[in-house]
Formats: sequence, C-alpha cells, structure tokens
Amino acid sequence: MNAPIFEVQHLSVRYPPQRGRAAAAILDDVSFSLERGRALTLVGPSGSGKSTLLRCLNRLVEPTAGTVTFAGRDIRAYDPRELRCRVALVMQTPVLFEGTIGDNLRLRPAGVPGDFSEPRLRSALSEVGFEPERLGEDATTLSGGEKQRVAIARALLRDPEVLLLDEPTSALDPPNVRLVLTTISRLQEGRDLSIVAVTHQPELVRRLGGSLLYLVGGRVQAFQAADDPGARGAIDVRLRAFLAGEPVAGVEKRA
Amino acid sequence: MSSPAVIDLFVWQLALAFGLVAVVVAISIHQSLNLERDLTIGSVRTVVQLYGIGFVLAAVFAAARWYWVVLILVAMIAVATQAAVSRLSKPLAGAGWIAATALSLSTAATLGYVIAVVVQVRPWWEPQYIIPIAGMILGNSMTSAALAGDRLQGDLRARADEVEARLALGFSGPDAVQPMVRAALRTAMIPTVNAMMTVGLVQLPGMMTGQILAGSSPLLAIRYQIVVVFMQAAATGLGSLLFVRLAVLRYLTPAHQLRRYLL
Repeated sequence: MNAPIFEVQHLSVRYPPQRGRAAAAILDDVSFSLERGRALTLVGPSGSGKSTLLRCLNRLVEPTAGTVTFAGRDIRAYDPRELRCRVALVMQTPVLFEGTIGDNLRLRPAGVPGDFSEPRLRSALSEVGFEPERLGEDATTLSGGEKQRVAIARALLRDPEVLLLDEPTSALDPPNVRLVLTTISRLQEGRDLSIVAVTHQPELVRRLGGSLLYLVGGRVQAFQAADDPGARGAIDVRLRAFLAGEPVAGVEKRA
Repeated sequence: MSSPAVIDLFVWQLALAFGLVAVVVAISIHQSLNLERDLTIGSVRTVVQLYGIGFVLAAVFAAARWYWVVLILVAMIAVATQAAVSRLSKPLAGAGWIAATALSLSTAATLGYVIAVVVQVRPWWEPQYIIPIAGMILGNSMTSAALAGDRLQGDLRARADEVEARLALGFSGPDAVQPMVRAALRTAMIPTVNAMMTVGLVQLPGMMTGQILAGSSPLLAIRYQIVVVFMQAAATGLGSLLFVRLAVLRYLTPAHQLRRYLL
C-alpha cells in the first residue's frame, strides 16, 4: 500500500471578524487522506468550502486549526514557494499574463528548478492538445478553453507531484469542457500524478475515479474511499441527486 | 531693497468680502441648487477655522519655542493621517498606524532636507518657515498616500485571482503584488507630475501668489516656488511608497498568502 501524499487532520478555517462582518467558519473539522498517484474529488454546494480546502493544500490559505501533512511532513515545514511548485494549482478562471503562450509557460520566479527549454515547452504544449508551433501566439486572445489548457501546461512544467484543479471546466463551453477533460485524463495516465479536483461536472467525477469527498457547509457529509466500493451506494444516491440539481438534503443553517 | 508695504486688511473689509459669498448664495437660490445652507456653514467655518489657526500661529510665533513647533507638527500629522485613512473605500485595521508612519517619515525626510540643506533656516524650528513648509509637504504626502492606498486596495480586490495565480506559480508575496504596487504608485504620482508640467502657465501657485502679495519680488517668489514644487514631488513619491509598502505587509502573510478576507 502507498504512503499517503496528503494527510489532512481536523482542519478548520475561520475568518476573524471584520468591521461590519461577523467571524465566519469556512471549514469545520475536515479530515481525509490521499494516496500518491490517486485522485480525490471534492463535491458539494457553492459556499461549502471546497475551494478553501483546496487552497489549504498548497497553503494559499492558512488553517485556523488542524494539520496538513504533505509527503510525510507538515506543510508548514516547506517553503511555501517550493510547496506550490510541487503542489500546482489550476484555477477556475485561468489567469494568463500579457505576452505569448511561450512567455506564459516560461513565467516563473528566479530559482525555480526544472526544464524550461524550448523543446520542453513545445512538448508541454502538445501534452495539452496544442500544436507546438503556437508557442509564439498572443496568449491574451485565446478562448477560455485554450487558456485553461495553457494554464494546465504551465502548472505541469513545474513537474508537480499533485495537481489541484479548482472547477477547471465550469467556465467553459461544452466542446472545451471535453478537450480539457480529455487532457486531464491523459495526464493521469501518463504520470504518477495525484489530483485533487473541485468540480460540479459529473463527467469529471466519473473520469477521475478515486475517492470522493462530499462537503456541505464546511463539514464532511460523506467520504468514499476509492478502494471501498461497499460504501458506494449511500454516497452515490446523495451525490447523484446533488449533481442532478435536486435540493441538498442535510443543509441546515448552522448556529 | 525696499518693498511696498502690505495693505492692512481690517475687519470691516472682511465683512465686505462676504458680498462675494452672497453672490454664490444668490446663484444657488435662483438655480434651486439647494446649497445655500452649506455655503453659509462653509463661510462661517472658513472664518472660524482660519481665525483659530491664526491665533495659534501668532501665539507660537510669539513664544518662539521649538517644542511648540513640534507639537503643531504632530497635530498636523494626526489630522492628515485621519484624512488619508478615511479615504480608503474599505476600512483596514491598522491603517491609521500605517498612514501615521508613512506621513511622519516622508514629511520628516523632505522637511529635514529643505530646512537644513536647501533653505538653511537658522534656527531649524523657526516657525515662519517650518510650519508653512511642513503643511505643504504633508498635504501632498496625505493626498498621494490616500490615492495610492485606495488604488492598491481596489486593484488587489479586483485582481485577487491574478495575485493568487502568481503565488500558486511559486512567486513570493511581494513579487505577486508588484504590478498592483506599481499601478498604485503611478496613480499617486501622476497628478504631481502633471502639475509640474503646467506650473506657472495655467495658474500661479498659491504660495508664490501669497509671497508676491506680501511684497516679495517675483524673482524671489519663484525661487521659493521651485523648491516647493520639487519638495512636493519628493513628498508625493516618499509618502505613497511608504504607505503602499506598509499596507502590502498587511495584505500579505510571511507565508506568501493573500489575506483575501481583508479585501
């Protein structure tokens, strides 16, 4: 059995009260673990804390309580900049900067290790379904789906061990959704990559396989381990209902 | 060199100046602007506030003690801090200290250079020089810090995803917000740069006008005005730079995170 790449224990995130706003609990006592090379999908209604949980894994968000262990060490033991190269994030709305596709792929702070040579950039592009000749194309005029795939290539150039996907397809039209999904499936096969994805897309949930974590109001409502098909029934009913757009049972206003 | 004496202004002459206010009030009534009340209150405030500061300055000038001068400077910084912070569209805890630090340091540096090195005032606390010069410096620092702070906050809010994208790519916190810092500093400095381009062509600066009215030769007045323009440029740059640098430290954590909940 694989050692877990991520071990999350009793994680809570609360924002301090601001002027005119009460303190807010975003995540409440979340625990799970993820084996290396496996996938985990976070599902749940909007505002249930999925994106925040994802951002705790690359330490863009600091938990108020609990621990996150990455590759055997507390993530606070890593330099956050190094951690974020090993645990790469692809956001819901891809952010590309001014310049060419190549400029965007090369974008990195000084001292980031890895191969950013021309041949490597070209192969990264073809990995996400682009003709490598498009390296010199203006990145700001790409379609949403193309931008998302360039963003995925940019994350992959850091040779991450984990890819965090924050609703990678929700801002895209159906043809682009298919292209991005195919890209993600191919990556899973080609590398020993662990993936944590937030998604509402039943198709992505199915393709990724792996474990499922169902989050409501910042709490884990259900967790289904990849190798535990026995638990499938219960979570499947709830998940299918949620993904099909039925009202979520068990969402109550918390005090 | 003899200069013509300044014409004294008596209280009955000030009363005549109220005729000018009456003109605006008449316009307001005639055009239904509904500003009569504010105009009246504004006129009264102008008289009361200026008389108040006049008496304070007269007392400080007469006492001629350095600690009174320092006290006035501290009070001026406190008011400027309050004004700069109140212009942030979303309150930021600790912004008062940030503004106070930025304004104090930028004013002290600029004022120190002008008083000690350029004009060479002896003694350094001579109220006739230090108070008006400090006021002009502080006014510019305050405006630029407020402009820069508001722009920084708005940009960080609107472009938070961009900041997080850079952080996620392994950039440090300061590197990730550098484009917003640059935009904020440019916003703060452009009005000053523009003013330098047209100074003396469109309007005579207030200080120079005052000096000429008080009997100085125009050639001496413009020499002072040149120093004033340059020191205002320095105060603008230093004030906004310090404010933005310190504010960024509030919005970022040492672990290179953006505190989105503050935006």
